[in-house]
Amino acid sequence: MSDLSEKDIDVFIEAVGDYFKKTTQEAASVGVAYLARNAFPMNDFTGMIKVSADYDGILYFSAPSAMLRHLLTVMKETNQSDENLLDAVGEIANTISGNARKYFGENMVISIPEKVAGLPSSFNQQARYYAYVIIIKWKHYSASLIVDISRKR
Amino acid sequence: MKLMIVDDSNIIRNRIARIASDSFLNQKLPNIEIVGAAASGVEAHALFLKTRPEIVTMDLTMPEMDGVECTTLLTQVDPQVKILIISALSDKATAIQALMNGAEGFLYKPFTDDELINALLELVEE
Repeated sequence: MSDLSEKDIDVFIEAVGDYFKKTTQEAASVGVAYLARNAFPMNDFTGMIKVSADYDGILYFSAPSAMLRHLLTVMKETNQSDENLLDAVGEIANTISGNARKYFGENMVISIPEKVAGLPSSFNQQARYYAYVIIIKWKHYSASLIVDISRKR
Repeated sequence: MKLMIVDDSNIIRNRIARIASDSFLNQKLPNIEIVGAAASGVEAHALFLKTRPEIVTMDLTMPEMDGVECTTLLTQVDPQVKILIISALSDKATAIQALMNGAEGFLYKPFTDDELINALLELVEE
């Protein structure tokens, strides 16, 4: 189970809001985090960052393909292949976790992104019993950030 | 000036290239010729030796060879090269390590178009 505090989770909420505001010049509506048990809202494409050293777990950013295509259009990216949609979820997950190190420090080591289309095959095994879920609404799309991270004891 | 872009994200490489090219057309930046883009530190080192850019934008978290190691290598080859780190890693220790290894500037992701233009401008005007 993620043992992060409300203050810890606010770091991720702030980071994902900042990503949309700076990249698209349009704020996203970022919901309050809730603890979920097994039923995680996964979408078409998912970017995953593994954290290690003083922390353990995975951060997931999962978004529908239509949202990612719209995001790439706003960024003036004309190549909207699946490869670039995977690139986008990986980059967003990487940016959010990288920004979180401002608060958590260098001892939250983050991996390079892993990216998958569809449900990550490892997700059921890797997600703990409870993880924080944050819903992001941008334009009329909905994406999710799943924070399945805890401090090592 | 010759610019090389290093980032493992294709969409970020394209975005940096587009902003740099548009900014020249809008006269916000002096003429910057993009001589190549690399997706890892290893690829960047090879491309650097071949194209000899004067400015490099460098990601930090990359496969094979990370941005700090690559920055060290490139500045050993050409101590005059100006390297702008563009990374999401927002802790102070990372920024200090990159600057101590030869980088001249640090721009945090996510960035706006103007933030990138200003960071490049500072680099070329030094």
